[in-house]
Amino acid sequence: MKLLFIILFFSSLSFSAEGNFNCGTIECDSFSADTTDLASLQSGLTTYMNNCYGCHSLKYSRYNRVAKDLEIPIEIYQENLIFDGSKPGELMNISLNEKDAVEWIGAKPPDLTLEARIRKPEWIYTYLRTYYPDASRPYGVNNKVYQNVSMPNVLEDLQLNLSAAEFDKVIYDLTNFLVYVADPSANERKRIGVYVLLFLLLFTSFAYLTYREFKKELK
Amino acid sequence: MAANEKNSGGIVNWFDTRFPITDLLERHLSKYPAPTNLNFWYLFGFLMIVVLAMQILTGLWLMMNYTNTAEEAFSSVEYIMRDVEYGWLLRYMHAAGASAFFALIYLHMFRGMMYGSYRKPRELIWVGGWVTYVLLCAEGFTGYVLPWGQMSFWAAQVIISLLGSIPIIGEDLATWIRGDYLISGITLSRLFAFHVVLLPIMIIAVVFFHILALHEIGSNNPDGIDIKKHVDKDGVPLDSKPFYPYDITHDIYALGVFLLIFCSVVFFFPEGGGYVLEYVNFEPANPLSTPAHIVPSWYFTPFYAMLRAVDFSLFGFTAKFLGFVTMAAGIAIFAALPWLDRSPVKSIRYKGILSKVFLAGFVVSFFVLGYLGAVPPSDLKNLLAKVFTVVYFSYFLLMPIYTRLEKCKPVPERAPGH
Repeated sequence: MKLLFIILFFSSLSFSAEGNFNCGTIECDSFSADTTDLASLQSGLTTYMNNCYGCHSLKYSRYNRVAKDLEIPIEIYQENLIFDGSKPGELMNISLNEKDAVEWIGAKPPDLTLEARIRKPEWIYTYLRTYYPDASRPYGVNNKVYQNVSMPNVLEDLQLNLSAAEFDKVIYDLTNFLVYVADPSANERKRIGVYVLLFLLLFTSFAYLTYREFKKELK
Repeated sequence: MAANEKNSGGIVNWFDTRFPITDLLERHLSKYPAPTNLNFWYLFGFLMIVVLAMQILTGLWLMMNYTNTAEEAFSSVEYIMRDVEYGWLLRYMHAAGASAFFALIYLHMFRGMMYGSYRKPRELIWVGGWVTYVLLCAEGFTGYVLPWGQMSFWAAQVIISLLGSIPIIGEDLATWIRGDYLISGITLSRLFAFHVVLLPIMIIAVVFFHILALHEIGSNNPDGIDIKKHVDKDGVPLDSKPFYPYDITHDIYALGVFLLIFCSVVFFFPEGGGYVLEYVNFEPANPLSTPAHIVPSWYFTPFYAMLRAVDFSLFGFTAKFLGFVTMAAGIAIFAALPWLDRSPVKSIRYKGILSKVFLAGFVVSFFVLGYLGAVPPSDLKNLLAKVFTVVYFSYFLLMPIYTRLEKCKPVPERAPGH
């Protein structure tokens, strides 16, 4: 009977998934985030603040939280990465409003605080590296992952001036930063989690031994 | 009273002469006679009590920082995740706790179905448990709306609009429930009130009743034998052991195992692969943009598949209404089990082959429908959903027939290995 249930359980799970591309017209490139690599996160933050932040807010995050987590001294952070005189404790809002954005670009650029959780990091990583020239589009570019995207290829200068490997690294760092900012407590969570599981292993071992002792008594 | 003699003088005695605290604790906890042949299927009730307590505590602290308005709800959740000390832990525990609660209640219900725990004289215990399940579904649904993400909004839209399919009163009823013509901040704040006040109170009350009734009647067991038939001179069943220390040590060991799994999810996979926290729900609710693929939480997907399987109208009723009725019936029909089962034996161990086949069919259909409710529909999948909806209901509706037809094995008088 038990075996029957087990077989039936697994057979019911074995439906295959559909074979659509997971990154628009192509397969996503593989991406493995490392939010403990502070140098990478700092580089990603710098790229973000200089190229993306004009249009894409990070409105659920605070400047000083990012500075603290990325171990950037707050004075240096304030001097180099806060452009509008905001206080370090403020949320990372931008001055671009929806009406102007629609008028200028045709759509409101989304907030990107949680982008790495909504779309997968590999999607972002692939998307930012697959712009190609397309004269039929307003900005002369199109994208393989996000067809007919409204966003111009903001990183075009970097793409032209850097080698392919260097550019990939810039995008890796940028994506890595977005993974961090989507769930800034992840590093702490995993660190605590190890201790929690170790404690529970110990607890469960002793609970098991106690259970075994009393079980002997029953017989 | 026996308790008085034992503790003459002292605080316990002072209480016992005013309120039978010792007697209550002994009857419901320390001396509660649990059958000797209980197996691991009997752990989930205890684990659910722990999860219920955890949900209430984490919920209380979440509520201290959550804002129940359409404008602020989403950002207040991110505030909890980022600015509240250990807010991320509270939120991840509460979200994973909801999934754990459903996983446990499904296992607990399945245990009852396998071993005939719903049979006489435990009908009210079963129905009480079923009421808890229905309340839990409402609790899960209302809680799911509160983060006010895209899936929160659109799942609420789909579920509440189902009421609109009820002939004549439907649209007015849906409007009355929403408090608005569309899902709005008004809907959000009333679902919040239900989620944090009304439903938890009802759940606690019904669970209290469920446990009280269980302790009066006594637990069933995997063999479905009546352990009260053979008692010692004090009236304690021979095939039983006191809850303390024999069962509690077992339960605490099980709690350790459960927490290992639970904390692995909370600390290392808090999104649970998109099943605990759905990726689309990290996008704020947008009434103007419908997600490509609306799915309910995993614990509702079997019933969602039934809803979608009914795509034909009949007798002048719309497909939507019939689907809604099928879905509701899929949940309601559990309550009828005590009166559908006509077998002379309780446990699947002694039932015939037909009961085993139909129970297996039920399990498979539950998983297949669960899968089908979570993926985008197609013609083939819709056909499968229809077939397995029929399989699902046949377990219940044909039960009065197949439980009488089959040949059962004789049930032993005493628990095996006594």
